[in-house]
Formats: sequence, structure tokens, C-alpha cells
Amino acid sequence: MSARAYVVAEFAAEAPLLAAARALRDQGHADLDLHSPVPLHGAEEALGLKRSVVPLIALVLGVAGAITGYLMQWWMVGVDFPINVGGRPPHSAPAFIPVTFELGVLFSALGIFFGLFKLWGMPRLHHPVFEVEAFRSASVDGLWLSAAVLPDRVPAVTAALTALGARQVEIVEDA
Amino acid sequence: MTTETRAAALADPLEPVPVLVGRPDDRALTASLTAPVLQPTRRGWLILVSVLMVGVGFWMLSLATTLVVGIGAWGNNIPVAWAFDITTFVWWIGIGHAGTLISAILLLFQQKWRTSINRFSEAMTLFAVAMAGVYPIIHLGRPWFFWWLMPYPSTNQIWPNFKSALPWDVFAISTYATVSFLFWFMGLIPDLATLRDTAPTRLKRVVYGIFAFGWRGSARHWQHYRIGYLLMAGLGTPLVVSVHTIVSFDFAISQLPGWHTTIFPPYFVAGAIFSGFAMVLTLMIPARKLLGLEQVITMKHLDNMAKVILATGLMVSYGYAMEHFMAWYGGNDGEAFAFLNRWTGPYAPIWYMQLACNVLVPQLFWFPALRRNLVVLFVASVLVNVGMWAERFMIIAVSLHRDFIPSSWAMYYPTWVDWGLLFGSMCTFGVLFLLFLRFLPVIPIAEVKELRRELDHDDFAAGHGPAAHALQAPEARP
Repeated sequence: MSARAYVVAEFAAEAPLLAAARALRDQGHADLDLHSPVPLHGAEEALGLKRSVVPLIALVLGVAGAITGYLMQWWMVGVDFPINVGGRPPHSAPAFIPVTFELGVLFSALGIFFGLFKLWGMPRLHHPVFEVEAFRSASVDGLWLSAAVLPDRVPAVTAALTALGARQVEIVEDA
Repeated sequence: MTTETRAAALADPLEPVPVLVGRPDDRALTASLTAPVLQPTRRGWLILVSVLMVGVGFWMLSLATTLVVGIGAWGNNIPVAWAFDITTFVWWIGIGHAGTLISAILLLFQQKWRTSINRFSEAMTLFAVAMAGVYPIIHLGRPWFFWWLMPYPSTNQIWPNFKSALPWDVFAISTYATVSFLFWFMGLIPDLATLRDTAPTRLKRVVYGIFAFGWRGSARHWQHYRIGYLLMAGLGTPLVVSVHTIVSFDFAISQLPGWHTTIFPPYFVAGAIFSGFAMVLTLMIPARKLLGLEQVITMKHLDNMAKVILATGLMVSYGYAMEHFMAWYGGNDGEAFAFLNRWTGPYAPIWYMQLACNVLVPQLFWFPALRRNLVVLFVASVLVNVGMWAERFMIIAVSLHRDFIPSSWAMYYPTWVDWGLLFGSMCTFGVLFLLFLRFLPVIPIAEVKELRRELDHDDFAAGHGPAAHALQAPEARP
């Protein structure tokens, strides 16, 4: 898999970009991506992406954080070192609510943030698509499609992208 | 029909001022929104930073004095054990709340006008929380042991007392600071990539490139980003309400007349939003002028913020009225005296200033002409924050100075260290904010591009978009 080439193509508008992604997928090219300065409506369907797991991460870690927070307080001031404050019982559930809530939020937010980096494959300061100088426009106004293909398929994919209306097609051989 | 007359004829009468002037394309938006960062440093910016650095020095001197001399350098004493320190803490943390409100709550309510101002307000939140965090720590007396607040297995063999409101504060403030930073940084990543790709010098490309962490605007990136951003907003919304609620518990859970009241949590949250929006206005009115951002931060934004200030100002006023009602209706002598003392006691001038700033000044915003007058908005926003600082001083120090036993009554007078910590923190906040204006995109570039597409779509749906055809593929154009 190491000897794959990237074919990178720029499109003038969103509709032909999404149509090209669908067409290449129908031709059996699975390793496609779209690059744009804003999220594109319909990109997930065009690429056949699965539902994001971020909500699941947020839920699991949020619940784990809340449980951790409650058990921590229960054990510290209820079991290990009971302190009598104003005659309240050592295990005093109402007093434990604020920290339980805050730790739930904290764990969930940390999980979302670091989970996103994991899912994004970041930090990754270099990527073959950055070899294309014109690809800089992907964060400004450019709409790009990138396909990771085996070297012998490069001519076919290049021809297909040109036929699908790409404004320019670039090839990164050494990926 | 010319474009102008057609636009006038079709304009929504309920939306007289747009949230985005014109419909600039992505390249023009990128150019105008990155300009403040990519241009060479301006002389005015340097002068402003230099002036504020004097205040930062004063702040450092006051902090050093506090560390060397101890709390005795302040005017605090028994019975007024909490004064400028906690007042300034609550004031800053309250200011911070507007950022999360704008970025999270208004996102969940799909308010389009939040887009251009959310980054700005989130940065304000971060710096305000950073300032707020200093005060509870230096107030500890031995701040070099501040980590004793954290539950870790120390050689002291004792844990924090989780039945006290003060350890709740530690968790609330540190969670709030962490989540605000993560939310702000997450929103910055696509824009840092834009800066990486448009910066004219190699140094800037490398530095912004490192902090963009390799963002490629990939469909996979955006898919997770969008859901992650929405979930962060969903977490931020209850969090922001919880933080000032917990801050108010520091007071409400105690027995002191003037503090011991159940209205504090909602009334503190309303006051926080009130002062936070005022601070956003105070910073935004000069910043949008200096950075040439009138196109994306329009009068519509300022007008909306003035309306929020009016609404929350009325809530705060209701809080004042209800506190007094309960003091009378509750029939508790201590409580009744605490509130009578506000009107007639030695600190009464501060009470009248608070009423003027927080109850009367927001009433200006009933008038649309005043909501769109920059001078009125700016002066009113400053006065609101003066009023909100006075409110916290009234609650904290003035409730304390008349203790249960008249023999322990005493006055509180701030020392130069107290004043240095107050004004120095404002200057430090100002420097941090100026650094933000200089080095990071103040307006979320990717989000404004998305906003423009949404506005185009709305125009198209209404059948009269000048740019509606831009959404269509070339072959689909008429």
C-alpha cells in the first residue's frame, strides 16, 4: 500500500465535485476524499461515510466522568476521611452534585477534543496532497477531490476526472 | 429594476439591517478577514500595547507585594475578609459568560448573528477567566500551596471538603477554563489552516501550519468537526449556567444576611450575561472600526447585543427588587437591616451608582435609535460594567462590614495594592486581547463563508437572490 499515488483535482462548483466523487466510487475507487473551505452538504453521502462516532465518545466519557466524580467524593469524604460539617452525613449526595456534573462535562469535552484529533489523524503536518502548490486554495475557496490509487491506475483516474469536468488535475507520485 | 430598488422592495421589514453587508465571495472574505493578521504591525497597536504594559507592570508589582507581604497588604480584615479580591474574581468570571453564551447557546438556537462575533467573545471569555483565576489563588494567603485544593493523595493525608462550596468552585472554574479553551481552539483550526495557506512569509506559514496540525479541509475532517463542535456547544450551555450558579453558592450557602438567599443562582447568571455582553460591546466597538470589520460586524450585531443587555438588565433589576421584597417579607431582622443598610449605610453612594448603572442605563436600549448609536452603546457598556463591579462589591464587602455583633462592625478601605490588582488586571486583559487581535483571526473565516452560503440559500428560497445562481452547477444555470 505504500506505493500509492495521489490524483488531486480541482472543481469549479460543488455539484460537479460531488458528482465526480460518486462517479469514481461507482468505478470502484474507494479511497477518495473531498477538500473544501467549508463543510459541503452531501459530501458524506457522496463518499459513503459512516456516521461519526464522536457522539458516542462524548456520551461514554461524560457518563464515566460523572461516575468518577461521584465515587471520588463518596470515597474521599464519606469513607476514607469522614468530616462532620454542620451535622451533614459523611456521604451527602446533594453536596456532591456540582463536582459530579463538572467532571462529567470535563471528561466529555476532553474526549470530544482528543477524539477528534484521533479521528482526523492529526497532528499530521505533512500529507501528499500538500505537495500540490495550488492545493493551498482548499482552505480559501477551492473545491478539491483527492484519490489515493495504485500507480498503474493513475492515467485512468486522471482521464476520468478530466472527463468529469475537473478544472485542473495534479498527480503526486511519491506518496 | 436596479439592484438597489429590487433589494429595497424585497427587503424583509423585520430585518432592516443585514448580518453581512454584501455577498463577498470566498476569496474576498479570506483576504479581508486575514488582513489584520497578515499585515505588518501597526504603530497604533504598538503604542496601545506599550501603554497597557505600564498597567501590567503595576499589576505585577501588586502581585509581588501580595506574595511578599501577604494578605496584610490589602485592606481586608475581619469582618470584611472578602473585598476587592473576590469582587474582582466574580466580576471577571461573570464577564467571561458572554463568550460561551454567544458561541454555544446562540449556536444551538441557530442565531445567524452569532457567527461573526463568536470568536471575539470566546477569546474575551478565555482572558477574563484567566484574570478571574488569579484572585482566588492569591487570596489563599499561601498561594504557593494552591494545589492543595486538588484531590490528590498528599502527605497531609486529608482530602478537600466536598461539602463546602469552595472546592466546587475549583472544579467549576477549572472545567470552564479548559472547555472554553478547547472550544475556542477547535473553532480556530480551519482558520489557522487558511492562514497557513495564505501567509506571505515562510515564518508565518510554518507557525500557523504547526498550530493547524495538518488540517486539510477534508470531508472526513468536516464531518467529525461539525458534530464535535455542536456537542461542545451542547456541553458549554449547561456548563456556563452551572459555573456562575456555583460561584453564587459561595455566598448563597452561607448564613450571612445579604448572601443567604435562594435567588442568587439565576440572578448571578443573568448578571454575568449582562456584564459579559457589555464587555463584548466595549471591546468590539473600537475593534471593528480599527480592523475595518464593519462589513461582517454590522449594526445588526450591536443592536442585538443591546437588546440582550436590556433583557438581562431587567432580570438583574428584578433580582434587586426580589431581594428587597424577601428581606421585608421574611421578617428576619438581620436580613432587613442588611438591605436598609445599602440605602442608608456608609457605602450608600456605591449602591446608588449600582442602581443608576444597572437599572437606569439599560433602559436607554428601549429606543432603536440609541441601540444604533455607537457613542451611546460604548458609554452605556462601560457604565454597565462599572455597575456590575459595584454590585459585586455591595454583595460581598458591604454585606460583611456590618457583622451580627455591632461591636465587630468595621469599615473596609482598599489599599494601593487592591487598586493595583483591579486596574492591573484590566490592563493585562487588554494586552492579551490586543495580542489576540494581532495574531489570530478575530472573525471565524470558515463560519462566515458558511453564513454567506446560508444567506444565499435563504435568498434563493425566497426567489430573489442576486447570488442564488452561484449555488447551482454551471450546466444547471439558466
